[in-house]
Amino acid sequence: MMPPKNQTQRIDELLGGVTEELLLGNPQQFEDNSIRVERLLLEMVRPDPIQPRRVLPEQLHFAFHNNRLTPTQALRELVQLVQVAARQRGRPFNNVLELLPNPDDEKEEDPSAHLSPEEQLLHDLVNLAVTIRDDGQVNPLTVVDVSQGVTQQFRIETGERRYWATWLLRDFITNYSGDGMIPCIIIPAERSSVFRQAKENTARAGLSAIALARQAALLLLTVHGHEIPSQAVSNDFYRQALELDLRGKREYTESILSAMGGIDKARFSRLKALLHLSDEAMELADRHDIDEKKLRYLLSLPSEFHIEIVRQIIDFDLSSKQVRDLCQSDDGNTNETDENEKLSPSAIKIARVTQTISATSAQDIARALLLQEGDLNMAKARVQAMYKLLLETERYLGNE
Amino acid sequence: MTRVFVFTNHKGGVGKSTSATNTAFGIAGMLRRAGAPNPRVLLIDTDSQAHATLVTTGSKDYGVDNSLYTVLMADRQNAAQTLLNCIVQSTWDEDLHVLPASPMLEGAERELMGIAGAPYRLAEPLSRIANRYAAIIIDTRPSFSLMTEMGLIAASDAIVPVEPRYLETVGLMSVIGKINDIREGWRQPNLRVSGILVTKMNTRVRGHNHLLDELKAHSVLGKLLLGVVPANEAVSYAHQSHLSVFSYDPKAPASKAYAQFVGKLVQRIAKGGA
Repeated sequence: MMPPKNQTQRIDELLGGVTEELLLGNPQQFEDNSIRVERLLLEMVRPDPIQPRRVLPEQLHFAFHNNRLTPTQALRELVQLVQVAARQRGRPFNNVLELLPNPDDEKEEDPSAHLSPEEQLLHDLVNLAVTIRDDGQVNPLTVVDVSQGVTQQFRIETGERRYWATWLLRDFITNYSGDGMIPCIIIPAERSSVFRQAKENTARAGLSAIALARQAALLLLTVHGHEIPSQAVSNDFYRQALELDLRGKREYTESILSAMGGIDKARFSRLKALLHLSDEAMELADRHDIDEKKLRYLLSLPSEFHIEIVRQIIDFDLSSKQVRDLCQSDDGNTNETDENEKLSPSAIKIARVTQTISATSAQDIARALLLQEGDLNMAKARVQAMYKLLLETERYLGNE
Repeated sequence: MTRVFVFTNHKGGVGKSTSATNTAFGIAGMLRRAGAPNPRVLLIDTDSQAHATLVTTGSKDYGVDNSLYTVLMADRQNAAQTLLNCIVQSTWDEDLHVLPASPMLEGAERELMGIAGAPYRLAEPLSRIANRYAAIIIDTRPSFSLMTEMGLIAASDAIVPVEPRYLETVGLMSVIGKINDIREGWRQPNLRVSGILVTKMNTRVRGHNHLLDELKAHSVLGKLLLGVVPANEAVSYAHQSHLSVFSYDPKAPASKAYAQFVGKLVQRIAKGGA
């Protein structure tokens, strides 16, 4: 039961009087707003749902941040996901420690070769967990105190991988008995900064182009006064930044570009433009860390083609020049049919080719393609594009 | 390091719960008024009668899954998280949090008897979350039971509330001796007797004055005397209204005495010294 207002004033007088006596001579003795380093209970710490650099695969990221999975459950799902992928590749494992290379193994094989992104992620986390087990957590996490009432919570500003590695160590690595605590640098909520987070992110290698695009969007949305939610958000949240630009907030331009790793305005715009990609394409491109130089060409295509091209980039390891060629030819086809009812010369040429397919063989076409493209992967990509085009054509014929 | 004050005396009715609750409220209020960035105080009620819980939260319907009992029964790995989940906000002040007691604590002592590490079942999880609070206050039951031992093992400072009566002051040295036994026996070098709080003092009773004078003159106990709270009806009425004595009547002599006492504790919290 809270006291009535006039009573509150009297309590203030009583306690305030004693407080004044205490403060005599040293009025600042209680006002400690410094940044502290403390060991926090792991359960009190939560990753930032808006953090552009996502550690978990998207599906797990959303399930975890929507409280459908606990940290242990999220990691269990990740381990199972990787176990399935590893079994398919003929590398089954039961214990996560088996992911680490065996020092006694004489076979000289690069263990990181041909790992799927999930396998690579788990491999890195296990490696980090073992380092923490053997050498301790040398680098504290940076967390923001977002406690409210009796709910004590700290949002990670930097160090999400160390957070997951610590959970992995606690619940998945046998014979480890930690105290369930994690060292953290605690920043008061009012001193939390998306700019610091961005700088930490961009200062490290391995931030994907999509994560950078999200990072750019987050900075733009922040300086334009958009409310940053505390729940996981879809890509549409970041896409709001497509309508904003640096010109609107010139006073922040330098800080934003600096936080993005000292990039120029043109690169910033190109990164931001990646938010035009379809959700599926963004997810896949993020997971496979596809470079912006490759992704930029997809933006000229309708969004329904993005995912297919991203798959081709991954499957055939296409260079940015090859992606450009692929997209420009696709672009020509689609634009002409969309914008102009008149038949394009290319369409007429391809239609004529269909009348002469009996005059050639698959082998000849393959050799001709190789000769034309000078690269096996590019040739395969051309066939895929053609295959897709023919499927579309068949669909159109069905509708006619 | 967060100071953990335990209010203990094996004699009942000396004002342990009253002192613990009002001290917890006072510390939170004073720290906030002093501009401390973290003025939160946690009150832990280890008495199965749950009086401190009742007056500070307005309820004593806490049981198997939301009280100190839950924490004591949790497995070691989850105990700290369980403790966090069981903490409730006091109706007195937003910065006063309470880990409620439950009548089930009576049975907990029997259940934990003989279990290895039982006396540390409060201290261990509490140490993991202690730094989230400016101070922690533990109210104990009027006996040296396992539950009281748990409170003492978790604490850094023992405060002994005592009435100015002959038999009580005679027993004071034995209380202090028991606290020292716990410090040595359980290897708790941080635990110390930090103060004596005389409660229910009536200056019109000659015996009270005489005993207080003796206490002040005592070579050891005199130095430990931290405050004298007068017998005051405001304290009983405050209990009935589920209010702190500060809120019930800030001008009451007991309120003023508690404020002075709390001030001394706050000074220790700020300085981190004795």
